[in-house]
Amino acid sequence: MKRTVLAFFAAGSLLWSALSHAATRPGYGGTLRVNMRLSSTSLDPADVVQSGSFAGNNISSLIFDTLVTLDRRGVAHPALAISWQSETGGQRWQFKLRTGVKFNDGTSLTAEQVAASLRAANPSWKIVASGDGITIERDVPDAAMPAELAMERNAIARRGGSAIQGTGPFAIQQWDAGKKLILSANNDYWDGRPYVDSVEILMGQGLREQMLALDLGKADVIEVAPEQARRAATEGRHVESSDPSEFMALVFAGNVSDEATAGLREALNASINRSALANVLLQGGGDPSAALLPNWLSGYGFLFSPPSDAGSHPAQTSRQAVNWSLAYDANDPLARVVAERIVLNARDAGISLQPGTTNKPDLRLVRTPLASLDVRLALMTLADSLRLPKPNLASESPEALYAGESGLLHSRIVIPLLHLRASYGLSAKVRGWRNTPDGRWYLNGVSLDARK
Amino acid sequence: MLEMNQTGIYGSVMTGYGDNSILRPERWLKTNGRRISTFLFVALITLSAQVSLASEWTGPAQQLAGEVVAATGPGAAALEITNRSSLSHAEFDQVSRELRSQMGALGLQFVNADAAAATITISLSEDLQNYVWVAQVRQGAGTSSVAMVSTPRKGSAPVGQDAAVAVHKALVWFQPEQILDAAIMDGSPTHMAVLDTEKVALYRLEGGRWQPEQFLPIPHGRAWPRDARGRLILRKDHLLDAYLPGMFCSTTKASPLGLDCRQSDDPWPLGDESANLKAFFAPSRNYFTGALAPGVGRETAAPAFYSAAALPRDKYTLWVFAGVDGQFHLLDGVTDQIASKLDWGSDIASVHSVCGTGWSVLATGSGEGLVDTIRVFDVADREPIAASQAEKFHGPITALWAEASGNTAIAVAHNSENGNYEAYRLSFLCGR
Repeated sequence: MKRTVLAFFAAGSLLWSALSHAATRPGYGGTLRVNMRLSSTSLDPADVVQSGSFAGNNISSLIFDTLVTLDRRGVAHPALAISWQSETGGQRWQFKLRTGVKFNDGTSLTAEQVAASLRAANPSWKIVASGDGITIERDVPDAAMPAELAMERNAIARRGGSAIQGTGPFAIQQWDAGKKLILSANNDYWDGRPYVDSVEILMGQGLREQMLALDLGKADVIEVAPEQARRAATEGRHVESSDPSEFMALVFAGNVSDEATAGLREALNASINRSALANVLLQGGGDPSAALLPNWLSGYGFLFSPPSDAGSHPAQTSRQAVNWSLAYDANDPLARVVAERIVLNARDAGISLQPGTTNKPDLRLVRTPLASLDVRLALMTLADSLRLPKPNLASESPEALYAGESGLLHSRIVIPLLHLRASYGLSAKVRGWRNTPDGRWYLNGVSLDARK
Repeated sequence: MLEMNQTGIYGSVMTGYGDNSILRPERWLKTNGRRISTFLFVALITLSAQVSLASEWTGPAQQLAGEVVAATGPGAAALEITNRSSLSHAEFDQVSRELRSQMGALGLQFVNADAAAATITISLSEDLQNYVWVAQVRQGAGTSSVAMVSTPRKGSAPVGQDAAVAVHKALVWFQPEQILDAAIMDGSPTHMAVLDTEKVALYRLEGGRWQPEQFLPIPHGRAWPRDARGRLILRKDHLLDAYLPGMFCSTTKASPLGLDCRQSDDPWPLGDESANLKAFFAPSRNYFTGALAPGVGRETAAPAFYSAAALPRDKYTLWVFAGVDGQFHLLDGVTDQIASKLDWGSDIASVHSVCGTGWSVLATGSGEGLVDTIRVFDVADREPIAASQAEKFHGPITALWAEASGNTAIAVAHNSENGNYEAYRLSFLCGR
């Protein structure tokens, strides 16, 4: 209740009202300066290498639209498609397209172009354009089709000609492959023009350079390594983080995935002190995990408890001598320190690991972002990216999903380690920042505070 | 089905007041006949919400119980149920009761682990859209099995596109007298204390209804100021303290429970205990004088204010004061920054929400009218950004205090339609 003196209130209310609009509404204009490590040579959303990263997905979402979007609960919402329905148990899908959508060069989006774009990304799909919609037929029923179409690799692009075109909130203004991308706001965007006039993305920037750029006021959005997020925040920076979502794991090569090495693989699994990885090396930038999917996504992840958080060392006497090579991304400082810690844990358990960057290692340390907020699709995609057997999902029930994930883990080809947070450092100018639980941007709603 | 943002989960079925510490139903009926129809109507609504809520859990509980008993067979079993989800204590208790009831009906008897043929561990978990209830069944030293059921989470429906937080208000109590504050003690059973200018009333949640336990009168010789304010603080070594203008009350530590009150100008706590800031309340007014104890950094005084919200940062706490002069002062211990353009009312509080920047400000709406609002604002730096839709109330908000957990708040609205004061518990859900 307003307790201000009535006369004062009466006199001031009109002024307040006028001022409040000016103060609280986001302002249009300005250039949002983004720094990232990714040094992409392609903007094509169907490029598997690019779309497998947070950064790639985030860039793609600025230029291209998908037929469907998922909200932060994983619920599908219309985007370029305004409605959809399935037939024959999910084997055949019909999508009705939004009318009046234009590419950034001003040409209209057609059903044929949508079909062609999806065919390029999914050669095995049978896609037919029909009037104001498309029909997709799969070999097998695919209940997750809407969620699949929400993935960035299925974003709609018009290829050919001098430049790739999208219908997204921003248009490509300047593209210096691998170095710099300048995007300008799409004034006719079907979902409303973005607040900022342009986005300037500097690529190939190291994390230290990015932090410096933020501190010097030369960047508005930077990436922050999971292990640096807490410190960056403690030092007064504005840091936004996702839920723990990026999967970090050890994956065995085929030559060491047989039954003969099962005991050793299990011993290695038991030797790893995940709590130390999460709390010491990562400084809380991730959660220890023995599951493929984070618990907040699956709801049952806690059932896969790590064998020992203290690092256990089962009897070594009967263990055969092995000397496995462990590969990690040499450009990833976090991967290096995690690999080194795992080598120490393994040594305590009598297992010798040789860290390095060899091409044909016995096991790899991998980082894989969560592909989707649709739990079923996330598991399928993760298995595919780790080259694990396709999970057997008998139904859409959580029990079936649990059984499918259990099956993948029991193969002992993969040893889950952590789920990492995606963190971003923001300048004081940035308003309206939102990211999804898995770390994706919503830059359409970001505005810049001109007073900062 | 319990509707989001509309009905309460606790339900107020009977108001109690009077000069005795024990409720007399016959007197209540006699003196409140005209209000009975209104009360019964609301009671019916809230009771039906309870029934709906119970039936909401019955289906999945029945399903999980069936799967568990299919694995164990009837007989003696040890049961442990844990909450890994966003279910409140009260909801968790309801689900637990439902599960026990369903499994009992199928022939399970619950015993200690050493006398059990099977051990059942049920975890009430959740994913993005559903509650996921997981039962792990171990029979002796034999193999274990897992059963799961899922049921849609409350609030899983999409919220407004631009709203990051959804405000969920649950009516917990109403009465004709002005409610100054309410405090809910989650537990088994859940208790509630309601503060008005005459008493502290204690209630126990039983069968989904608040049952009166005790009324603790507040003796006072002089009239309260207009628009009286008051606050309840739950304590660890005794039940609670009550702060009123010029008066301090504390429940006794020894049994039977009593309330000791004295004239006092002692400062009132602002925020929770960790905030460690108190402020002096003007005994004959409706605001804090501005004198702080011990202060915000070097600042030991703020302009006179109605309410305050603490926003913990990494190295300091940013305090927002809703000044009597209509301005909002942001104190961080070094600077006093004025945010005069905020369209907020006089009552603000801070809560730790599950999304956004962590600590958010709850602010009432400005202006006067038949409808008031409460809205969540993220204050990423010093610029509040609306993080929720404005939640409407049928009358002005007369009190807004954060609860001890920091995750919920109590708001009191003076219903302009029926004249009642209504206490709501506010909780927060992540939207898009």
